[in-house]
Amino acid sequence: MTSDVMIEAQGLTKRYGAFRALDRVSFQVKKGEVVGFLGPNGAGKSTTMRILTCYQSATAGSATVHGHDVFDEPLEVRSKIGYLPQRAQMYGEMGVLEYLRFVADIRKINVTLFNKRIRNIVEVCGLGTVLGKDLRQLSHGYRQRVGLAQALIHDPPILVLDEPTEGLDPNEKTEVLEYIKQIGRDRTVILSTHNLAEVEEACSRAIIVSKGRVVADGSIDEVRARGGRVRYHVSIDEKNALAGKSAPAVGDVERALATLDGITSAKETPTDDRAHAFSLLGTRSTDLRADIYRLCVERGWVLLEMRRDIQRLEDVFKALTKSDELADRLRAPAAASVADEDEDADDEGDDANADDDDANDEGDADDEGDADDKGDGDAAGANGKEADEDDDDDEGADAPADKSKGKG
Amino acid sequence: MSTTWTIAKREFRSYFDSPVAYVVICLGLAALGLLFFNYRGGFWDANRASLEQMFIQVPRGLSWLVVPVITMRLIAEEKHSGTLELLITLPVRDSEVIFGKFLGAWGLVLVFIAATGLYPILMFGWPWDLGSLDTGPVLSGYLGLALFSAAAVSIGLLISSLTESQVIAFFVTFLVLFMLHIVGSGMTLDMLPPRVEYVVTFISFETRIAGFLRGAIHARDILFFLTVTAGCLTGSFWALERRKWA
Repeated sequence: MTSDVMIEAQGLTKRYGAFRALDRVSFQVKKGEVVGFLGPNGAGKSTTMRILTCYQSATAGSATVHGHDVFDEPLEVRSKIGYLPQRAQMYGEMGVLEYLRFVADIRKINVTLFNKRIRNIVEVCGLGTVLGKDLRQLSHGYRQRVGLAQALIHDPPILVLDEPTEGLDPNEKTEVLEYIKQIGRDRTVILSTHNLAEVEEACSRAIIVSKGRVVADGSIDEVRARGGRVRYHVSIDEKNALAGKSAPAVGDVERALATLDGITSAKETPTDDRAHAFSLLGTRSTDLRADIYRLCVERGWVLLEMRRDIQRLEDVFKALTKSDELADRLRAPAAASVADEDEDADDEGDDANADDDDANDEGDADDEGDADDKGDGDAAGANGKEADEDDDDDEGADAPADKSKGKG
Repeated sequence: MSTTWTIAKREFRSYFDSPVAYVVICLGLAALGLLFFNYRGGFWDANRASLEQMFIQVPRGLSWLVVPVITMRLIAEEKHSGTLELLITLPVRDSEVIFGKFLGAWGLVLVFIAATGLYPILMFGWPWDLGSLDTGPVLSGYLGLALFSAAAVSIGLLISSLTESQVIAFFVTFLVLFMLHIVGSGMTLDMLPPRVEYVVTFISFETRIAGFLRGAIHARDILFFLTVTAGCLTGSFWALERRKWA
């Protein structure tokens, strides 16, 4: 093992009676990485975190943290980790400062060092106004910040954060993510969530788990690329054209775009503008923006908008975890409440089988393409708007950009 | 050891952050006062400079009110509210958690026991001097109370670590401690065959503590309470470890 590896899990399996919460989960986290641990509710995220922090033991498999085995050396492991459990509960009757002091005492941090650190931590976590208050008086958002603060008090090389933004309002979420990015500059962070935007914002790498198995692991771009598809959004003026040419009819445009080399499908999307808007699917290996532009010039169309979206993480996530959840629902209707992707399942229920076979298969772009189209047809407008917001992110390989931003 | 101490200190202080400690100590002392002066004629009718009545009533008060109330929350509340996860994932051993909690709760019980020290001091020292008190049985009685309360608290801790519900912890602890007193009383002993009677006398808290109250310190009584304490602490430790495999 290289000294670079901070967390290593090998074949972690956890059974609760007959239920298999984790099924041979293996992954590595290297020094300085901020890893998003993604999965639907009940996928085994918290169980993994609890095993890494030695709160629970795995039924089989092993894990090391900072070179220490989680089973044999729990104290060493815990002293290297700052852990924020899911919906972290702290002693309500204690004051914020009192609680942090208690944690510091257990972590054997002396008063001088504590006083030195606490100033910085209070600043980073934004606790200045609540230091004297009792924990039970705090809002959930502030309690979460105290949770972060207690995880940072010993300046740990590794942070394990289990759904740190759960139950926060959007402003608090943004702030907490900002903190995580800040503190992740010089630490290894593993962060579990089922919110994909958070991972895209804060993490450089994603591990997706579903039903206790790792279904994807790689940099955000790699994971995104698993779908193997790219979407182009094209809008063309429907009233005007270049000099000497006539305004285009929607059928012509659609036909011309659909027959471009490398485009697998073209669908018109509703739009407020006086324009023909289309959503095209292409393979990831080629960039067709130049071709589309040339086509427009050739025909004299006025190109109002063109955007190339690498598939969103959300799409990959859905594709990878959907089949498991559907299988669950068919087996036991009661279990459906666990899954939170209802609309998705309804839209794409027909394609369950196709996806079942090939959820992980990159080559099967057609099947997945169909599934996607279907979903789009129902909510194309909404999708288009959502995509707009993601635009900045997707334009240039965003994850590394994020990281360098963080380091700067 | 210092980790244990930190946990014990926090536990002890947390009692005073809620009304529990104050209410239990006041209620206990008030009840003790009533019983001491009124129960079966009380102190005055005995017409002796003796605190025997107090040493008979205090263990019962501890078992039936103070200890169940104090111990019911120890682990059950942490499990129920979820604070246990943060505590355990700090670099602490499970044994340190158990021992720290035990010391914190026992500490509060000892405060209660110390408060009963007002009786001998006020009545036979200053301001009143009601006669010459035989200090031997008083001191050995306090030793007995300390040992007995350690055993009772450890039983409460064990039961608290087996459930998530404080209410269940309270009633089960109360019931167990109640039985351990009742089995030693004359009423039950008469109904039992000799062999069972022997066993019952052996485990009864009342017979175990009786020696201390007379001023007789027996090694077997000390050992009994220490064994119960150690056994229950070990049991609590296992109960806490159980989460890993559940």
